[in-house]
Amino acid sequence: MKQFLLILTLISCTVYGQEKQRILLTGGNLHVGNGTVFESAAIGIKDGEIAFIKNSLAYTVDKADWDTIIDVSGKEVYPGFVAPNSTLGLTEIDAVRATRDYDEVGTYNPHVRAQIAYNAESKVISTVRSNGVLLTQTTPRGGIISGSSAVMTTSAWNWEDATVLKDDGIHLNWPSSMEGGGWWAEPSVKSKNKKYDENKSSIVEFFDIAKAYTQVNQPETKDLRLEAMRGCFEGTKRVYIHANELQELVDVIEFAKTQGLAFPVIVGGYDSHLLTHQLKDAKIPVMVVRPHSLPENEDDAVNHSYRLPDLLRQGDVKFCIQNEGDMEAMNTRNLPFLAGTAMAYGLSAEDAVSSISLWSCEILGIDENYGSVEKGKSATLFVSEGNALDMRTNKMVLGVVNGALIDPANFQFDLKEKYTEKYSGN
Amino acid sequence: MKRHFNSFKAVLFLFIFSISLVGSAQTPQNGVAQSQAPYYALTNARIVVSPTETIENATILIKGTTIEKIGKRISIPKNAVEIKCEGYTILPSFIELSSEIGLKKAVTEKKGNGGAEESSKGGSYYWNEAIHPEIDASHTYEADEKISALYMEAGFGFAFTHEKDGVAQGQGALVSLALSTLYKPTMNWGSGSFYSFSKGVSKQSYPSSQMGSIALLRQAFYDAKWYKATDQTERNLSLEALNAQWHHTSFFYTNDRWEILRAAKIATEFNRTFTYIGAGDEYGILDQLKGLKSTIVVPINFPKAYDVTDPYVARQIPLSDLKQWEMAPYNASILVQNGIPICITSSGHESSKEFWEHLRLAIKHGLPSSEALKALTLNPAKILGIDSKVGSLESGKIASFTVYSSNPLEDAQTELLESWSLGERTVHKKLENPDLAGTYSMLIGGRRFPLKIEAQPGGKYTAMVTVKPNATVKIDGDEVKVTLEINQTDITIQFAINDSLWSGSVNLRGKINHKLKIIEGDGMIPTGKWVPWHAVLKEKGKAANTADTKPFLPDTLPVAWFPNMAYGFDSLPKAQPILFSNVTIWTNGIEGIVKDGFVLVQNGKIHYAGTRLPSSPKGTIEIDGKGKHLTSGIIDEHSHIAISKGVNEGGQAITAEVSIGDVVTPDDINIYRQLSGGVTAAQLLHGSANPIGGQSALIKLKWGFTPEQMLIPNAPKFIKFALGENVKQSNWGEHSSIRFPQTRMGVEQIYYDAFERARVYQLEKAKLGEKHRIDLELEVLSEILKKQRFISCHSYVQSEINMLMHVADSLGFKINTFTHILEGYKVADKMAAHGAGGSTFSDWWAYKYEVNEAIPYNAKMMHDQGVVVAINSDDAEMGRRLNQEAAKSVKYGGMSEEDAWKMVSLNPAKLLHLDKQMGSVEAGKDADLVLWTDNPLSIMARVDYTVVDGLILYDAKKDVTLYDRNQSEKARIISKMLKANEAGNKESFEKKKKGHYHCNTLGEEGTIEENQH
Repeated sequence: MKQFLLILTLISCTVYGQEKQRILLTGGNLHVGNGTVFESAAIGIKDGEIAFIKNSLAYTVDKADWDTIIDVSGKEVYPGFVAPNSTLGLTEIDAVRATRDYDEVGTYNPHVRAQIAYNAESKVISTVRSNGVLLTQTTPRGGIISGSSAVMTTSAWNWEDATVLKDDGIHLNWPSSMEGGGWWAEPSVKSKNKKYDENKSSIVEFFDIAKAYTQVNQPETKDLRLEAMRGCFEGTKRVYIHANELQELVDVIEFAKTQGLAFPVIVGGYDSHLLTHQLKDAKIPVMVVRPHSLPENEDDAVNHSYRLPDLLRQGDVKFCIQNEGDMEAMNTRNLPFLAGTAMAYGLSAEDAVSSISLWSCEILGIDENYGSVEKGKSATLFVSEGNALDMRTNKMVLGVVNGALIDPANFQFDLKEKYTEKYSGN
Repeated sequence: MKRHFNSFKAVLFLFIFSISLVGSAQTPQNGVAQSQAPYYALTNARIVVSPTETIENATILIKGTTIEKIGKRISIPKNAVEIKCEGYTILPSFIELSSEIGLKKAVTEKKGNGGAEESSKGGSYYWNEAIHPEIDASHTYEADEKISALYMEAGFGFAFTHEKDGVAQGQGALVSLALSTLYKPTMNWGSGSFYSFSKGVSKQSYPSSQMGSIALLRQAFYDAKWYKATDQTERNLSLEALNAQWHHTSFFYTNDRWEILRAAKIATEFNRTFTYIGAGDEYGILDQLKGLKSTIVVPINFPKAYDVTDPYVARQIPLSDLKQWEMAPYNASILVQNGIPICITSSGHESSKEFWEHLRLAIKHGLPSSEALKALTLNPAKILGIDSKVGSLESGKIASFTVYSSNPLEDAQTELLESWSLGERTVHKKLENPDLAGTYSMLIGGRRFPLKIEAQPGGKYTAMVTVKPNATVKIDGDEVKVTLEINQTDITIQFAINDSLWSGSVNLRGKINHKLKIIEGDGMIPTGKWVPWHAVLKEKGKAANTADTKPFLPDTLPVAWFPNMAYGFDSLPKAQPILFSNVTIWTNGIEGIVKDGFVLVQNGKIHYAGTRLPSSPKGTIEIDGKGKHLTSGIIDEHSHIAISKGVNEGGQAITAEVSIGDVVTPDDINIYRQLSGGVTAAQLLHGSANPIGGQSALIKLKWGFTPEQMLIPNAPKFIKFALGENVKQSNWGEHSSIRFPQTRMGVEQIYYDAFERARVYQLEKAKLGEKHRIDLELEVLSEILKKQRFISCHSYVQSEINMLMHVADSLGFKINTFTHILEGYKVADKMAAHGAGGSTFSDWWAYKYEVNEAIPYNAKMMHDQGVVVAINSDDAEMGRRLNQEAAKSVKYGGMSEEDAWKMVSLNPAKLLHLDKQMGSVEAGKDADLVLWTDNPLSIMARVDYTVVDGLILYDAKKDVTLYDRNQSEKARIISKMLKANEAGNKESFEKKKKGHYHCNTLGEEGTIEENQH
């Protein structure tokens, strides 16, 4: 805690915000994000970018070159963690309808755009940022095609400057092959979804229409819905297909192939460990089901979700970790510990880091600029007291988004301070 | 809802040849009275007079409704009508105990959203519509010929019918299944009333859960006793009926084996005995059933084989369902072998054919046919107290029996011939040629042909005739198949012939003369001529082979696991000494964290914990803990796992009378999952739908054991309170705005009112003594006032927390624990002063408005103010990794690791007043231990072993082999099922029928939204 305050004072002369500074971080243990570790790294940040990474011990600092120089010796440096497939920023208080902005009316809504509903000032986002999650894919829900997501930073004045990649892809909710199941307190048996084939055909039909429509570049009358599909075939938009069960996954692989989708991505993939060879061959990556989730069926391995990331790694399937599920917006701050749990159940320490940084960015299509701390990439990183994937030691002392320092604290920290003071006054 | 004969859609194919009317009809007759035979004599039959006695070649003599005489060498009066039954088998009529025949289905009267608070019934009835013991089936019974005929086809002569609805369902009526048009079949004998845990069609919101039904029935029983013992001016027909039925047979409907144990607790409380109508899975509670001394009415509508041809679908079928499918046909047999008396009900069958198939299947799976018969005749007769009249065939008993062509319990090809009900004959089929089999010499138009008639099962015959290619040559001929038709004494024979004399078809018609053993008539030969013919019996043939007489050898009796599902134990683990060596011990005691320590477990307790190697007895399981960490088990202060049919009784704002302890269920996979995360004990709390909810159950996670064995013996008593949005029903939709309270203001008044009523109740109780009406709700509230019951209160914002502490202070009790308590950091000083503990989430917030200022520093801040703080789950997923949740307080607020760990071990033990027996690794305490691969607060920590009461209930290595075992067990049963599929027996895998989900149904059918945190 002392350390935290020290650094706070150190940088208190600078204003948090979107101001790009020349920053030098020295002595930190850098987890690059690509599997390598750089001990005692000197990280130079200029114009919002990583200017260089050098060995601190061999690097001579010229104070004039920098607005801020911070010694982070003994601490861990990570690329900003990435929370894909999240309603973060689209919801504030789950039970209050007025604060929910993620589920639009309609079945096929590719034209509905999450980007412009992203509330950069969300209190929930502020708590997520404090744990090192600096990028998120703000994602709509509902219907068959929920809408278009966008990749955003978690530190911005508004959605415009938060945007890293607008309309990065559409989200297709594949029909469930099974129904029922109840919930954990009242489980019930599942049954085959009798409408599965029908639902599947309706999706194929929509994609056929969309494909035909997009053959003409400037149609006489524009169809908003179909226009939004254009990029899916041209390769500028990803198609995120939310599917979990074996039957669904097999069908999704076939669908992606027959539709000629440029960048299909499976979101969920509960049974994907059974299809690693197919996924690998089809080059379809998986945003894997939240590791902190219960097994779907009572017979499943009790630690199935903990192990799934490592099973995919063993099967050579590209994947990243995401957090869709109960109370997902507020739970996004636990993303590092999802990767941590996957680490306890098989992933190597640096693979666990990659699973919430570089690999996520590769799947999202932003890895050229984000996902690892490498020269030329956006300076989006943070410094933690200790291992950021362990909940005891994940303590952000300093964060940088696109070259600007961010406030590691949040309103919850302020409330703590306020009431701690109340008691100390007693 | 179980299917039943009443739900038949099948068209009835029943040919009734004759009906003779006997018995004393009380109805005036039109014209001259019906003519009746003075006597009937069924002769030469094989009569199964009782399950243990069969008389061959015996006669039954019937006069009127009763058996005059039965046995061998009975002189038949001249004026008797003789019915020859040679080769036939006669069984006593079966008695159905669970029937709705002749009664209209109960229906919901009111429509619309939501439940009513009050009963819609006027008149002198019980306040709750689910209690209607006053309903008497005989008042509304109307004969139903179709259903009667179906029962009769299945061999039944009597049914005990009643309205299957509600908790106290009412009085049944014994009806005869005779097809008489004059005779009123409701009978004057037999009595019994029915109970269940399902509220049925009542539109009252209470009860909405199984624990609510249990409390309601108990309250009704107490009310009945009080009504009887006191002189009430207000008449209550329901309570009068309960009292009238008190000492008669009481049937209790159950949906699974655990419900039997739940009902049995009520039976013990009121010193009664129930007869349980089971669900077919009672083989899983043999030891408990042996202690009950109750009869189980077992269904034999075994589950159908699921369609497993699609492996993608087959893999989704839970092993528990597969195992039940495999075990179900053994159920009756296993019960009988274990000395548990059973009756068999036909309930759930769509046709008599299906019923008989299943009955024979039960016999094939080891149920002796004599026991099967007993379960259908004498046992139900005894249960109804009518065994002096029916249930077996003896002189003086009622003439109700069934005539079959062979023994139906053994021969699947048997034909149902006649049903006799109260001396009334119904003929289903006539077999006129019992002895036609044999070799005959047949002479047709001067040519001789050997004819061989063979008896086939089911009274059918086939025949062959020998023809020679050249009639003049003396060689053996070829056997040619004959087309044979027999209708009573008429016979048609047709066969093809192609020899030197005749070429074409021989078509014969004739009459059978049984006495002379000759068949004669005339027919047309291939020349076109009509010629006389006859066939004379040369040698009598064998009777029909009764097919399937080979003893059935079931494959090895499938083994039920504990529990009978994935990850169940093959056999229950037994306590063995365990020694953990060279391990880092988180003692939670004054020694703190001890390195290179030893812990010896003996007899379920921690025998030694320290740094020297203790001497361990022979047979000790030695576990090397090098590099590992040993802690006491995690205790989850707030859990809702292992609860059956409703965590909320939301029917009323105060439901102190209900108890989670009544509905603990041991076959919830989440028990095993929590063990895999190091949880060994939990408080199972009522939900948060009400200001005063139900009583808690304090359990150990004893996977494989029974509910009673899971409950911690002599545990302190707890109850759930709740404040805020859930009790105000804030997030349940606009229609949930009627029940008081809707504001935090109202919540306070609920408490003052409740405790004032409890105070007055105690005063009146002291005054009236025995004559006082026991009110289960106020009894529990009184315990709180008397400080005999602790409160765990769901709470979020500071205003409501302070309010409740004021209420408690003013009434002289304490709030033991504020659970959730997400704004506890704002009032921690007041909580400490009041003496309340806090059991909180590590970092949850933002899921509703009242948690908008919840902060993850909460636990540490309360801790700093001297509040005993626990971290709880309230969630089956998070419950598996409470160690991680505790570790978050190291991050948020900088709590020490030892203190953080205590928040999921020692502190919850303190909050539950169980810290004398658990919560630390110290000699003398319960051996609830967890061996971790790492510092338990580390993200890298995994559980190697979880030990509860000295039993290893989770073993990470064994978990892997258990998974493989589950998979191979699944594969084994699925391949068995595939065979059944090939034989055409398959049912697509369907979601089990559940009631309608409705946005304001609570408890038993509640949705996720309503069971919010």
